[in-house]
Amino acid sequence: MAIIEVEHLHKQFKVAKRETGIIGALKSIVNREFITKEAVKDISFSIEKGEMVGYIGPNGAGKSTTIKMLTGILVPSSGKVIVNGLVPYEDRQKNAKNIGVVFGQRTQLWWDLPTIESFELLKEIYRVPDSLYKKNMDIFCDILGLSEFLNTPVRQLSLGQRMRADIAASLLHDPPILFLDEPTIGLDVVAKEKMRTFIQEINREKNVTVILTTHDMEDIEKLCQRMVLIDHGQKVYDGDILTVKNRFGTSRTLIVDVEENGKELQVRGGELIKEEGNRKWIRFNRFEISASEIIHQITRTHNITDLTVEEPEIETIISKIYQEGFKEPVIQ
Amino acid sequence: MGIIKYIKLYFRLVSAGVRAQMQYRFAFIMRIVGMITAYTGTAVTMWVMLYQFQQLGSWNFYEMLFLFAFSILSWGFCIILFFHFRSLDTYILNGTFDRFLVRPIHPFFHFMAMKFDVASFGQFIFSIFVFIWVSGVLDIGWNVEKFLFLIAATIGGVLIQGGLLVMISAIAFWTTKSEQFYWVAMYPARNLTYYPLVIYPKVIQWIIAFVIPFGFVNYFPVSVILDKDVPFFPSYIGYLSPLVGVIFFTIAYFIWMFGLNHYKSTGS
Repeated sequence: MAIIEVEHLHKQFKVAKRETGIIGALKSIVNREFITKEAVKDISFSIEKGEMVGYIGPNGAGKSTTIKMLTGILVPSSGKVIVNGLVPYEDRQKNAKNIGVVFGQRTQLWWDLPTIESFELLKEIYRVPDSLYKKNMDIFCDILGLSEFLNTPVRQLSLGQRMRADIAASLLHDPPILFLDEPTIGLDVVAKEKMRTFIQEINREKNVTVILTTHDMEDIEKLCQRMVLIDHGQKVYDGDILTVKNRFGTSRTLIVDVEENGKELQVRGGELIKEEGNRKWIRFNRFEISASEIIHQITRTHNITDLTVEEPEIETIISKIYQEGFKEPVIQ
Repeated sequence: MGIIKYIKLYFRLVSAGVRAQMQYRFAFIMRIVGMITAYTGTAVTMWVMLYQFQQLGSWNFYEMLFLFAFSILSWGFCIILFFHFRSLDTYILNGTFDRFLVRPIHPFFHFMAMKFDVASFGQFIFSIFVFIWVSGVLDIGWNVEKFLFLIAATIGGVLIQGGLLVMISAIAFWTTKSEQFYWVAMYPARNLTYYPLVIYPKVIQWIIAFVIPFGFVNYFPVSVILDKDVPFFPSYIGYLSPLVGVIFFTIAYFIWMFGLNHYKSTGS
């Protein structure tokens, strides 16, 4: 049975209509008009135990609204949500024991106290048995390197350290489900990599189900086998990442360094999109022309000193889906 | 979770809050000094006024001082226990309130236990000093009953003022910001209690007794202790103070929980 089940989930908000200008502002104090905004429209999905799912969409797509309904913070307008056998908004406190939540931008640690104190307080709040607490702390110290800053007040931690502490704090009570909201936001490359490795390790060793929202497509590519893509409150795609790449990643960019010889570089079937000295960027559709064909054309007029072919980043693919919608591809 | 567990957890959270506050020692001490100075200032103003009039609505300077100190005493406890509610709107605004909803304990309890404002020592030092001084001047005739009543009435006062703090904070569940309401309701209500209600017009006395029941914070119970008349009201009204506190706070709690439910459906 699926650990998370969402069926025909809806959430509507009443939003006060904002009027412009001073008169509008005064008018809205006396007589506010409300418009109904549908933040989540008929979303359904189910997640199996141990899956790592990327839940993505542009700002305001309804990501955090969905997460809030899964964690029991918000009550849905209609539809069904079941998380680990419970309805989150009905059994919010029980559900809280089954989930770990990390909001990347907001810490759950006690800001002014040494880091270790937050863990001890959370141990009391979640009533984590001593043995489990010790076991988990050993694991977290080991793979997250917590021991080096356990006695430092949270406000003095670097962002990377704070995120590591936050994620450890959310896993202290061994929840079967972990919600990560922007877990790598603001981190440097090394810290991001550490964070991803840890998430993978936790998922593998404890079989924790992970739902991840992020704007960093590398997170998704490296961590998730599956992604659920939403836009304007609706699900646009649910499936593996490779399929998306194949369907939408039809364009390739060839980057060549050529010896300058006064001749103009002309490529049929490709488009010169950028030039920087000797380096040229040529975009082409891989279903219309092959890379070798383009290279062949160039070698007729120029000597190539170096070349690479770039795949489109998942980010560009996704923004393409947002713009065009997820349609069946013309060429398969 | 059982009540014993909750009490244990309360003290754990509270002691963490105190230690966090102690990180900023200078601010902590300055607040205590500041409070003592501010209240002494108000007391001096009373003295200046009473020097001219001798009496204000049959209350002399020392009686008024006792009334004032009684209000400050319960306010001190109220700050310790409930002042965190004043920052609820900031939590909602920043989105940090959601944290309280993903934890397996009662959100009202959790929010209340997050801060234990020990800086109200200023209030205690001031009010206890005044009690001792004024008791010497006035012939209060302290006995066990009176002392127990003082404690019960203080609890009542804490619950009434705490209840209003809780109610005001709950407004933030609808409007996101509630700071203004503090200045519209809490601040004037507290200021009215610095003087005997008898000096105010009847309408105001009636409001302070039955709408925002701050009359029960100090005026009614102090009248019992000092054996003063309370015109327009039954003479036993002061004894109702603890009961009014419990009822008012219960109402406040339910309003807060109602607001929380609203928040859960709108997530403002």
